[in-house]
Amino acid sequence: MSFDQDLILAAISAYIVATLAFFNYLLSRIELSRRIGIPLAMIGCALQFYELVYRGTSSHIWPLTNLYGSLSLFAAMSVLIFLAFSFRLGIWFMGGFVTALASAFLAYALTWNEGYLPAVPALQSYWIKIHVPLVISAYASFLVAFVSSLLYLIKYYGERSLDAKATRAAAAAGPELSRGTPRSIIVGDSPNLERAAASGNALALWLATLPTLAKLDSITYQIVSLGLPLLTLGIITGAWWAKEAWGAYWQWDPKETAALVSWIVYAMYMHLHTRTAWRGLRCAWLSVLGFATIIFCYLGVNIWISGLHSYKM
Amino acid sequence: MASTSAPNLQTRNLREQLAESFDDLLLQLSNFWFGMSLLALWGVMTLIGVVVEQGREPAFYAENYAPALTRLILRLHLDNIYHGSAYIALVALIVACMILATFKRVIPARLPPLHAVKIDKIPLHATIALPQDVATARARTEAFFRERGWLVRKREHSGVEWTFADKQNWARRGVLVAHLGFVLIAIGTTMYWAWGYNGDTTILTGAEVTIPQNGTRLHLDRFAYQIEPIQTRGGLVYQPIDYVSDLHVAPREGALHPAVLRVNAPLDIGGTLYYQSSYGAAVAFALTKDGKPVSGSPAVPLKEGEGFTIGSTARSIRYDRFVATIDRDGRIGADPRPNNPGVVIDVADGNQLIGSILVPLDRDLDLGNGYRLRVGRSTLFSVIQYRHDPGVPFVGLGAFVLLAGLCISFWCVPARFYVRVDETPEGSSVGIAATTVKGFEIFDEQFRSLVAALRGDLQDPSAAPAT
Ligand code: HEM
Repeated sequence: MSFDQDLILAAISAYIVATLAFFNYLLSRIELSRRIGIPLAMIGCALQFYELVYRGTSSHIWPLTNLYGSLSLFAAMSVLIFLAFSFRLGIWFMGGFVTALASAFLAYALTWNEGYLPAVPALQSYWIKIHVPLVISAYASFLVAFVSSLLYLIKYYGERSLDAKATRAAAAAGPELSRGTPRSIIVGDSPNLERAAASGNALALWLATLPTLAKLDSITYQIVSLGLPLLTLGIITGAWWAKEAWGAYWQWDPKETAALVSWIVYAMYMHLHTRTAWRGLRCAWLSVLGFATIIFCYLGVNIWISGLHSYKM
Repeated sequence: MASTSAPNLQTRNLREQLAESFDDLLLQLSNFWFGMSLLALWGVMTLIGVVVEQGREPAFYAENYAPALTRLILRLHLDNIYHGSAYIALVALIVACMILATFKRVIPARLPPLHAVKIDKIPLHATIALPQDVATARARTEAFFRERGWLVRKREHSGVEWTFADKQNWARRGVLVAHLGFVLIAIGTTMYWAWGYNGDTTILTGAEVTIPQNGTRLHLDRFAYQIEPIQTRGGLVYQPIDYVSDLHVAPREGALHPAVLRVNAPLDIGGTLYYQSSYGAAVAFALTKDGKPVSGSPAVPLKEGEGFTIGSTARSIRYDRFVATIDRDGRIGADPRPNNPGVVIDVADGNQLIGSILVPLDRDLDLGNGYRLRVGRSTLFSVIQYRHDPGVPFVGLGAFVLLAGLCISFWCVPARFYVRVDETPEGSSVGIAATTVKGFEIFDEQFRSLVAALRGDLQDPSAAPAT
């Protein structure tokens, strides 16, 4: 097995152990788990970047010209962006999902390893060194935003089930006690969550360790705030490159149109997030939908739909 | 008198009604939810174009899709969705809607006047009770915000003096910048539709073509390509490395001068860009009957897909594809570099394909009835695309303006503090509230820490009132 594959396997192993540690942290909040997860995620990420550099320098071929290289960067950037946001916002509890997804994408990348293949003429451009990392970083940001929306949805539906239970209990206790729970605009945890947690309900105890729904929503928004400008810049540089390589900045190629679909979904996210009624649950679902369009654009189009960007060519 | 003023009144009423309906229409068009529905529809239509193959022949859809789906695709023109009038109209409507929303809604909402508020109705609010008199409390509050770089302004509303402190006020215009960027892109694209053109041309080595739209002449001296065999994990792959056209070019009525055209390095001739697109091998075919040339025999080398009929018969020959390597067993080899080259030709009777034959170059083929086909030498040709797009500067500028607008809108959070100081029996009470353009949660922590700092500042007896 080649050295670069060894590096990838070592990165996957680091991510898998980091995943276990971070999930343990998410469920138990044992500080030691977090302390184990962080360096492992960093080591995996560093190994991945080292592998990319190693492959590039040893073969003199830019390593991002095929799906193997690009998926590898996707996994590494997802972890890197997660780490950067965690140091700023303290979102370590999301780590298990991010490293699990990173290791899954990295393992999948291995199935696309063709060895060293120089780029076809249209890809021999300095633009590949600008456009591809930008787009991949945008995809990676959306992966992290997807994870935080997922946690939002878990917490939201968890709280709702506790609310329903509390309402049923209150209804059984008497009609005068069954009034709904008012919530302020800056939404804190539902009082039912606090009450259930106080009475020892395991789900409530765990949900209470997560940030408030409003905070989770704000975390997703801040990550999308990085992803959407990156995606916009990625589309712009791609258009610029297309103008040099194929003669037109926009050719309605399946890949660029699929990226436009993702861009539209996140532009809607951005607009709808300005509405109080949409902030929170609906925007979380929109972020999930946005990530689905990203995966379709990234893998679906490359693998199933042929076009100028297809890796099948 | 009454008889002359009545029609006037009616006309005025009608005009007023029309103006009112027009205003209603504009208001409706600027509606946020209407705009968002348009964006959603844009996303769906764009997605359809990704999933449904674009620009194919009807037969393709009939072959690959269920009959009902094929009918739907063809009837609704989903096979060419991006150039259909519905798609173009939708994008135009989005631009119109966005412009109207910008003027009718965004500007009033994002640039609010300095007005009084009900402090306790705003989720981010706090009250600080102080022993100092109103004037001191006011001066120190003002100084507190100024020292931290906030823009402090004062207004009196209903006899009460309000202090407004703004941060990143300029960033309130981020939306306008983003929307302007989108409009610039739309303008650039429209300019291409109105005044641009594009096309492609095929030039045989040694031949010259004239571009019909601008009279530019292109002469191909030589075309070269480089293909390398590379051993990959999946087997041997022949990877193209370079395509180069050595040309002589001349703008309309200008003299020819040498130029080299490569992939990724377009040539700009008189504002039109020329791109190396692809290449191929043209092959000379000569048809004879009983040793004499037959009319209809191709006068110029044919390109793949071209053909001719065999004399006065119903039969025809089509040059199907160029084969770079015929292997030792006489079969098509994998190596795309010319090494015992040949062609695959199809022979048809009417529309019926009779068979395909692989023929090496420089060979004769007996077609029967005295007909012989000479498959001659091959000549490389270069396919060059060209495009004149006067909208590019607008699209480029628009893209960066849009990006700047996004960054401003996302990364800068303009916030406004509303402060009123009231007299109390103990001294004064400072009421504070804050709003941002992005809701409250995003500013919650900052608000708390600022209020804590202000409280500390105001309650510190040693601090002198700032001037
Ligand atoms: C259907 C067309 C559109 C309409 C009607 C529309 C309308 C609006 C409105 C009303 C706002 C202000 C929301 C608020 O603060 O309450 C807004 C914000 C914004 N719009 Fe649009 N818009 C449209 C399309 C676009 C497009 C295509 C872009 C391109 C990126 C864009 C970029 C932005 C940005 C960056 C913001 C600021 C968002 C924020 O601060 O979070 N808009 N738009």
